Amino acid sequence: MKRLFAITLVLFGLFLGTAQAEGLYPDVPKAVGNPHPEGSAFMRINHMKLMRHDRDDTMHNGNRDVKYSIKECVACHAVKGPQGLPISVKEEGHFCKNCHEFAAVKIDCFQCHNSKPTEEFTALLMRDPAPTADEISAYLKELRE
Amino acid sequence: MLSTLYAVLFYIATILLIVGTGMKVLKYARTPAPLKIPVSPAPRTRAGVVQRMGREVTMFESLFKSNRWIWIFAILFHYGMLLVLLRHLRYFTQPVWWWVELIQPFGVYAGFVMVLGLLGLLARRIVVNRIRYISNPSDYLMLLLLIGIGVTGLSMKFLMPVDILMVKQFFLGLMRFQINELPMQPGVLIHLGLVAILMIIFPISKLMHAPGLFFAPSRTQVDNAREFRHMSAWASQLEDLPESIPTEEGK
Repeated sequence: MKRLFAITLVLFGLFLGTAQAEGLYPDVPKAVGNPHPEGSAFMRINHMKLMRHDRDDTMHNGNRDVKYSIKECVACHAVKGPQGLPISVKEEGHFCKNCHEFAAVKIDCFQCHNSKPTEEFTALLMRDPAPTADEISAYLKELRE
Repeated sequence: MLSTLYAVLFYIATILLIVGTGMKVLKYARTPAPLKIPVSPAPRTRAGVVQRMGREVTMFESLFKSNRWIWIFAILFHYGMLLVLLRHLRYFTQPVWWWVELIQPFGVYAGFVMVLGLLGLLARRIVVNRIRYISNPSDYLMLLLLIGIGVTGLSMKFLMPVDILMVKQFFLGLMRFQINELPMQPGVLIHLGLVAILMIIFPISKLMHAPGLFFAPSRTQVDNAREFRHMSAWASQLEDLPESIPTEEGK
């Protein structure tokens, strides 16, 4: 019994211990604007609900003054690619991609929506004195209104 | 702190599950079956037995023949659980296998189906008089444990979302002997606690019917007592009988 226990422990170790002890959490690229007032932890577990809720609110109730919009998400969370331009969800390193692949959750947003920010926002992002977080927030606010 | 406790709990539970089940299976394998007792009508060839066992394992054939209601709930539960378990592979593989990714949405429905089947089986224990009479506390315990696991799992999907990335980080970490933080949310802690309890008591519970089925002589034996003499291992070491009836090995 004791020997069996020891053997199992050793086998267990051999099987699993070979893997590298490295950072397991996926890379979450930094956003360009101000942080969410609700906090990142809240957003991590609730973002899908906020988006879904907005969709229903807009489509079924015709309410266009919703608090969140996917346009803002992809703008503020734009990740610049090798050419310095924001990349789409099909490219490696897109904000949504790492976590969604890690969790095996399919994103269907971008079958219709654009995963890159608008051209105006890209222009703002590429401006030579880089825009401050407040400027970006101001732009996003405008986008909302 | 609590994460470390859960990590230790899962190491212990995994070892107990594997070693305990292994020892039970060894015991089953070594238990002599001195008599030829296949339940008739039984197949008369090895291939036939394999087919019958296949139907038994995948379709619960004998249950289908004996009680349709229990069969419906049993099938709902077992296949629901199968899909749910496969869906959970995403927490233990990185990168996630393509077919695991594919079944993700179906696994959610399977969660409901599994709980539905379990509730049916629980209702049977309570509602059917003669079943209630023969039901032991452990019969209820298994059902309640599994229902608890299913309900907390579903509630994390629909009522109180959790950071599943942290959960995956925790389990990938365990597989690499590093302890990471679990999200400190009641859903996760209850769900994982119940799973650990289930893993620990699995080898000493009625859930051993899963490996046990493969060692049931009434299902695994070939009905060829007329053609061959059935000998258990200890009996074949005895002196030969005068009349030489061939044994199964064709001696």
